[in-house]
This record gives sequence, structure tokens and C-alpha cells, in this order.
Amino acid sequence: MAETVDTPDTPPSDPQTERALEVVRSALPEAVVASELSGRHPWIQVRVEDLRAACRLLRDEPTLQMDCCHLISGVDWPEAAEIEVVYHLCSYSLKPPAAYGRRAEKNDPWIALKVRVPRDQAEVPTVMDIWTGADWHERETWDLVGVRFTGRRELRRVLLPDDWPGHPLRKDWEFPASYHGVPIIPPEGL
Amino acid sequence: MSDVPETGLSDLRGAGLPESEFILDPELQESVILSTVQWVKDWGRRNALWPMAFGLACCAMEMMATAATKYDLDRFGAGVFRASPRQSDLMIVAGTLSHKMAPRLRRLWEQMPDPKYVIAMGACVIGGGPYSKFGYHVVQGVDLIVPVDVYLPGCPPRPEALIDGIRKLQLRIEKRSGESLQTILDKSKGVGAA
Repeated sequence: MAETVDTPDTPPSDPQTERALEVVRSALPEAVVASELSGRHPWIQVRVEDLRAACRLLRDEPTLQMDCCHLISGVDWPEAAEIEVVYHLCSYSLKPPAAYGRRAEKNDPWIALKVRVPRDQAEVPTVMDIWTGADWHERETWDLVGVRFTGRRELRRVLLPDDWPGHPLRKDWEFPASYHGVPIIPPEGL
Repeated sequence: MSDVPETGLSDLRGAGLPESEFILDPELQESVILSTVQWVKDWGRRNALWPMAFGLACCAMEMMATAATKYDLDRFGAGVFRASPRQSDLMIVAGTLSHKMAPRLRRLWEQMPDPKYVIAMGACVIGGGPYSKFGYHVVQGVDLIVPVDVYLPGCPPRPEALIDGIRKLQLRIEKRSGESLQTILDKSKGVGAA
């Protein structure tokens, strides 16, 4: 049986994501650090200093029109001493975005833009002026992972109380013994 | 006294009182029920629990279902959900309690008039539930914040379980007054025969 099996987990890269990479590469030749175009969720990693320019490109390019910053997530990589910030972009103008987990189709306007910053100095320029909806996403990423977004209006917590100690989704975050007099048993104690 | 006809009312005569103190005109025995004030107050309390409309997470859905037509919490006198803590005497803590919410919950509980009762509904409220170990934001048991009368396990508990919890609370209030209705009825029968 020499038949090729099409695995649903790794669909081939489609022209739209290749187009996105091409757009970023041609305008900012130094920007792209790494990329992965096949798979469920194609991504492009760029340098921090080129992030805003890349975002503008993806949003304003007529064939892409990434007009929605769907989600901003932060990933902690303690071994590399880096924090990764992932911008999940999609286009409502070209096609309504597919739900997560659905197999990517041709011309599915989804792309993830990644940047990596040092862990002890996690500062990323804001994209709030490019997509206004990024406001709460940035506040959440600051709240939980501790990424400081610069150049935007007041950056304060969105989910946790204002006086919460630290950023709990960092891998080295320590459970406090108590919060406002309410004792907390750490995971080792249970 | 033995010529007093056996009616429903006479069953309740002298409820909660020692036999020696039960001296009444035979005519009055037909129209007067004697009991302790405490028992009557608790009887009213347990049959008219007013819960506070206060849902924190998914358990609140089951709480709403319990109050709705199919399970009809009103059958047990506890269906009048109040939107204000000052009008309610039962707080059903339904859902995950986060550290951010805890001071608010305590404040709401303090605003409720005495006597007040708390039902801890669901695994999260009892001890943190699935968030107990790694959930940094979840209070590991609402009894760290307010005293709890009834613990109601489940994730989430079914409406039948909540009804059972409210029945348990009613029994608890009943026991607090010292005697169950059945005991009082049994006692008063003996008094009537004397």
C-alpha cells in the first residue's frame, strides 16, 4: 500500500500563511527569526523591535487583512530564561475565523506572531493602538505572566486583585503562605 | 379530661411543656396550642428559608434549576430567592470562591440578619475542589471565610442534592430548638390522656 495518508493533525501549509510570511520577509528582511507554516496553527517569530511593524503589515496588507487580535498569550520558558508572547491574529474581513481545534482549511486567515524577550526584563511594545481589543489581552498577560507592555496607557491587573503577589503563571512563582489572612496550602503540602 | 373529643388540634396541646404545668380550661384546650416560643420561631424559620440569589460559578446553574419549575424549591419553603443579603437568612455559596471574591462574600454574610445559615455547595466551596492543589486563586474551603452549616459535595451537586442539603439544614434548625414536631405531638397525646 503506497497510499499517502493525510493526517488531520498536520495539514500542509496553505498559500495564505505563506503569503503572510512573504509579506513580513519582504518588508522587514531582518525581522523573521523562525517560522512554522504547517500544522494546525502556523506561526512566525519576529524580533521584538520589529513586532509593531510586522503587526501593522499583517493588518494593512489587502490580501491578509488581519483585523482582529484574537488572543495574546504568554509562555514562560525557564530553561531558555525567556518569555514568549504569542499574538493570535485572524481576519474577519476575508473570512470569519474558524474555531480552535478545527482543521485548518485553505485560505483560513489565521496566523500567530511570536516574540521572545528575556525573562528578567520582559518588556514588549504595546499593540493597543493597532488593535484596540488588545487592551485586556495585554493586561491579562501582565497579570498572569508578568510581561510589561510599554507605550500604552496604565497597565494594571485585570483578573487578580491589585495587591496580589507576583505573576502566578511564571514557573518559579511561589505560593504565598496566606492572602489577607486566608491561609493557602501550597501544592507540596497537599 | 377524658371526655375531650380527639381532634387534630388537641394533638398539639401542651407541646413542649411539662405535664404538671398543663392546666387549662377544657374549652380552651380545643382552640389553643401551647408550645415554647423558641420552637414556634424555629418552626417558622426552617419552613421559610429565604436564600440569597448569589451564584459564583457553575453550581449556581444547578441552584437555579433547583429553584425552577421541575425541582421547585418552593415545596420546601426555600424558593424565595432574595436579591439583597438584608432580606435573606440562607447563603448558598454556589461555585468557585476566589481570593478576590472572599472579602466580598464575608461582607455579604455580615450584612445578613441573624439567624443566618450557610450551605457550602460543591467541591470548590468545600475545599477548593479541582483547584485545590494548583489553583493559586481559589480559597481552599469557604469555611475559612464564614461558618458553614451544611456541606454539600458534588461537582456540581444535582438539584436533588441541594434539596437534600436544605432538608438537612431544616432538620438542623429543628434540632436546635430541642424537640422535633413528632416528639411534641407524642408528648401532647400523653398530656391529653391525663
